[in-house]
Amino acid sequence: MADIEIEIDGNSINAKAGEMLITVTDREGISVPRFCYHKKLSIAANCRMCLVDVEGAPKPQPACSTPIADGMKIHTQNEKAKASQKAVMEFLLINHPLDCPICDQGGECELQDVAMDYGSDVSRFTEGKRIVADSDIGALIQTDMTRCIHCTRCVRFGAEVAGIMEMGGTGRGEDMKIEPFLTEGIQSELSGNMIDVCPVGALTSKPFRYELRSWQMNAVSNVARHDLVGSNIITQTYKGKVKRIVAKDNESINETWISDRDRFSYEGLSHENRLLSPQIKVEGTWKEVEWNVALDFAIRGLANNVINTHQSDKLGALASNTATLEEFHLLQKILREIGSENIDHRLNVKNLDHAISLESNIKLLGLEGIDHALVIGSNLRLEQPMISHRLRKANLSGASIDVINAMAFDFNYRLNSENIISPNQTAATLAGVLKSVLGNAHIEVPDYLVDIEVSDIAMQLADKLSQSNNSVIVLGEHIVNNPQASSIANLVSEIAQHTDSTTLNVSATANSMAANMAGFVPGKDGLDVNAMLAADLKAYILLDVYPQYDFHHSVQAVEALSSDDTFVISLNSFKDDAVAQYSDVLLPIASFYETSGSHVNVEGEVQSFAAAVNAPSDTKPAWKVLKVLADLLELPGFHYADSAQVTSEIMHQSHKQHAHNESIDVKVKRGINVIWQKSPYAVDVLSRHATSLQATNIGQINSASMNKATAKKLEVALGDEYLGVPVAINEAVANNCVFVNANHSTGVQS
Amino acid sequence: MISNKAKKQIDAWVVKYPEGHQSSAVMEALKIVQAENDNRLTSDTIQAVADYLAMPGIAAAEVATFYENYNHKPVGKHTIRFCHNISCMLNGSDELITHLENKLGVKTGEVTPDGLINVKKVECLGACVGAPMFQIGDQYYENLTADKIDEIVDGLK
Repeated sequence: MADIEIEIDGNSINAKAGEMLITVTDREGISVPRFCYHKKLSIAANCRMCLVDVEGAPKPQPACSTPIADGMKIHTQNEKAKASQKAVMEFLLINHPLDCPICDQGGECELQDVAMDYGSDVSRFTEGKRIVADSDIGALIQTDMTRCIHCTRCVRFGAEVAGIMEMGGTGRGEDMKIEPFLTEGIQSELSGNMIDVCPVGALTSKPFRYELRSWQMNAVSNVARHDLVGSNIITQTYKGKVKRIVAKDNESINETWISDRDRFSYEGLSHENRLLSPQIKVEGTWKEVEWNVALDFAIRGLANNVINTHQSDKLGALASNTATLEEFHLLQKILREIGSENIDHRLNVKNLDHAISLESNIKLLGLEGIDHALVIGSNLRLEQPMISHRLRKANLSGASIDVINAMAFDFNYRLNSENIISPNQTAATLAGVLKSVLGNAHIEVPDYLVDIEVSDIAMQLADKLSQSNNSVIVLGEHIVNNPQASSIANLVSEIAQHTDSTTLNVSATANSMAANMAGFVPGKDGLDVNAMLAADLKAYILLDVYPQYDFHHSVQAVEALSSDDTFVISLNSFKDDAVAQYSDVLLPIASFYETSGSHVNVEGEVQSFAAAVNAPSDTKPAWKVLKVLADLLELPGFHYADSAQVTSEIMHQSHKQHAHNESIDVKVKRGINVIWQKSPYAVDVLSRHATSLQATNIGQINSASMNKATAKKLEVALGDEYLGVPVAINEAVANNCVFVNANHSTGVQS
Repeated sequence: MISNKAKKQIDAWVVKYPEGHQSSAVMEALKIVQAENDNRLTSDTIQAVADYLAMPGIAAAEVATFYENYNHKPVGKHTIRFCHNISCMLNGSDELITHLENKLGVKTGEVTPDGLINVKKVECLGACVGAPMFQIGDQYYENLTADKIDEIVDGLK
């Protein structure tokens, strides 16, 4: 578009022809009031607040929907513009209640702000105001619809961004209401953003209701650690407590949205289940002690069990995927200084001989520009909401998306094809895709593919990838425990190479990229987690591990860790019965937002953050605990004054690559496969303690889904439990497959 | 929820719109479904129409609540659509509506106990020349008087 010159308030400004006037005024810092306009949503032009005077136009024009043209002369402040804006303001206030003193939006309300500038101090209306009944739309969003000014931002957010139109404008004229259709509660995993876009107090945060005024809180920039995106957030704190979380703009990471999981998980921080004081186990009973006593006890345990007896290879370290980059680094450094390579964070992987190794080589922003995607083994929308959002944007601008899953999931965009394939056949199907891709490129087929029969599905998937210029293959979490996981990853890598596709590995979530970066994986001669549990180790250091959720082999894990002669030091942020059973020392650590550290997202972006609040009570940030442990063990090289020094040490070290299985097995396996997933709001300990999140529709997901034939084979029926999870009969599940989404610990995973 | 006959009628409308825009047929679809469900819509029927046209339920509900022609409460076999706009009002529609209400023993918006008749006040139906007037079904009745109303209503079965 050509550059043109326009005049705003007497100043000439260069802009592109066809841009909307409000885009130009926003860019130039010229203030134009608005309610319905939002830079990320379609233009509705229904609030009329942004009326400005355009020379030559008989009536004032809305800046949000007036495309500019060369030589246009615009007045945003003259009498005509001001008069129109004031008139609209008066109109909007006719029915708006004067309940600002009890409104949660007070102090951060766009209507309040604009009314200060454009409103009159006295209303000319004496008529009664209209009252609108509220709808209960779930545990996260509080509605006060009498305050609604019908800007329809929430409606457009649902239809355009969340991809599920849940709110709508019903009725007409004075009877118009913004409401959901059926009152079963909001389904979207991004619903909290409606609170952010609402310019008034109609939609506010339910957990935050009547808590505080925005000006009473401190705002600290932070990074959410629940998924592979590392969405930028602002933690709002008051007297040492996180009171609310809102999105922070970062176009290349999370644009201006965050998932509900990132927004509402903070509630868990003040859960009564927090571990708040150091404890040691003396003759089988727990005793609360001072930190120095607990640390001393821990050191003596390590000394007695491994160091003094010269069996440092009998020490193991395990961490959950939510730890920070610095915590991963310090813990692996302690182990390696002591002389052990038994280090692992991949607790949920059934068989690490077949662990997935696949690089991600596309940026989040790049996902918007793709023209084709093949998603394998993921319920992306609930597992990686912001990545799913980017794919949705690509899809809306024309990209086709194929899916290979073991079960049909709700995608909030139109799929080119959804292929429900049993986990036993995933590798064989991808082998067919590869064979077909090689055929398309006239490349000789390697031996292992010779006997593969290319199915129609495989051929279509291959053709799409071959024909696309900018395709991506996404490998998801459901593949982790596929018996051919490493083969699938290797096949994906081959397919990507021969189709010039990029790959996105979302098979391990949270801060697992940081664990890899810090080398938190077994070194040469080191044991992986499953080998450790089988090897009768004499001591462990566990970082925020909750066995019944985190381990694949949870029963074996609790058994191995409970062994009498195994000394277990547990650093935990929450109490847990199984942890108490097997541990000898419990060190209370800071949770999310209470510690400084770094998150590494799927594109390898290291985002550091400061602590938003101090660690509560007697808890300490884990990086400090680990540093002091190292000092007490008299290990060299732990002189850090703050976590940033740890970060910079990591940046300067070479990243260790762990060996990976390069063989490819493409045979169709037999037997029934269980895909065991924690439900989307049970992925980490903080979300599990966030009461409101748990009360949502997504938080309630708890089922072992299988089709009738599989249920018959397993001899279970609706009403039964399978592996401790209620059975759901669903024909959308592939044959010979059970898809488990569990939101509670069961202690059974096979 | 939607009969095969109704589906056929809706399909005839769907094909009139471009591929992928089948939701444009929502107004006719709601009308067709309303006609075969006691002349009213419920959340269930609205959702059924939305599902059939692959659109969000709320989007169909927006349309269904916007237009006067869709009923959301039970209606009688005959709906008397009484104009109370300016011309009719000046010619005494208010008094006639009261007369009608008294005769039927129910208020506007209610249905007679036998389920036969309900009265709805509507805006101008474009027959000012014969004001006051009302509409029953497709038929206009003009230059109404109390006697004429009695005669018409008594004739409804």
